[in-house]
Amino acid sequence: MRRKASLILLALAVFFTALSPLLRWYAFPRLAKIPANQYQDMVLEAKNATLLDYGTMQAKTVPKVTIVQTLKGDVDAAKKIDKTAGRDVVVWDGLSYVQGPDGKMVSSIPERYIFDAHTQDPVHATGEMVDGDPVKRDGIEFKWPFLTQKRDYEYFDAQTRTTNPIHYKGTENFRGVKVYYFEQTIPWTKVPFPKTMPVKGITPESVAKTGTTRWYTTVRKFWVEPVTGAPVYGEELHKEELRGGTLLGDRDKVTAFAGDVKMREDYIKHTVALVKSNRTLVLLMVSYLPWGFLTLGLLLLALSLYLEARSRRPGDPASTEVQEPEPVNA
Amino acid sequence: MRALIAATTGLVLAFALVLTITAMGSPMGKTSPKPLLTTVPAHP
Repeated sequence: MRRKASLILLALAVFFTALSPLLRWYAFPRLAKIPANQYQDMVLEAKNATLLDYGTMQAKTVPKVTIVQTLKGDVDAAKKIDKTAGRDVVVWDGLSYVQGPDGKMVSSIPERYIFDAHTQDPVHATGEMVDGDPVKRDGIEFKWPFLTQKRDYEYFDAQTRTTNPIHYKGTENFRGVKVYYFEQTIPWTKVPFPKTMPVKGITPESVAKTGTTRWYTTVRKFWVEPVTGAPVYGEELHKEELRGGTLLGDRDKVTAFAGDVKMREDYIKHTVALVKSNRTLVLLMVSYLPWGFLTLGLLLLALSLYLEARSRRPGDPASTEVQEPEPVNA
Repeated sequence: MRALIAATTGLVLAFALVLTITAMGSPMGKTSPKPLLTTVPAHP
């Protein structure tokens, strides 16, 4: 009986011990992914910002500029690209809608971001764009990969349509969550006018005819929870200028927007709670279960060996196995 | 010999379980009917 029990325990010990690395190194990279149907919104605010009044072409300080950012997974588009790319893909349609203090639209920039659901590596397919312009991302955008590392990443900037390094600057604690702080500076760069302008009748083409150009610089800051790769907080020191051309009269340049853009407080709380919950799920697969299974496997192995040793001890009545009678052959 | 069979059984079962779970994957679901926002939401 002890012999049988020790064999069952041995099978279970091998089962759990093997499950530990299989779960961590085989199952996790294949199961952990961004859902194709994800929908999320974010509200950011720039208080006491500088905003250009296109009626008077004068920059003025306004109490608040609000940016509403929505990301919506297109499942049908993801399925189509899945087949050609041969891997799990997420297609995010995004909209950055900027609203002035009077509630009127300042700018509205759509984009389509296609990426690997597991690694967050960009995937290039038809439809990848920013504000209608085809782009080719060479880095991440919005989210870091699962198990983010303490290193620089390539990050896509939608305004300049370029990919540049975003630097790891240290580990911090943000509202009880361990986070990695990343920072990217985009120097003054000439960028296209948004296709949708805040004043009716003004188009990017009509502005281009005046010779006026749009320039932009930003310092982008992200506090990223490393297990999930999800930013729990973000800030941008964002500046835009219009330069040259007849639109500005005798001025060289005028500020189109300047402000310290920060996440709204209720969205910070919501994001921190969501990331904490998702973090537990990821840790379950990369840490809690693998270590738990390994410990259980070793305990079962020890128990199995103990029972086996006892069953073999000489003089132990339990070790006396009942011999089945041999069949009698003629 | 019986110990080897028991150990192999455990190993095969572990592989079978993990391969089955990963092969099943997770459903992709459907695209959300909610629109891309052009108004400021009152709360998350």
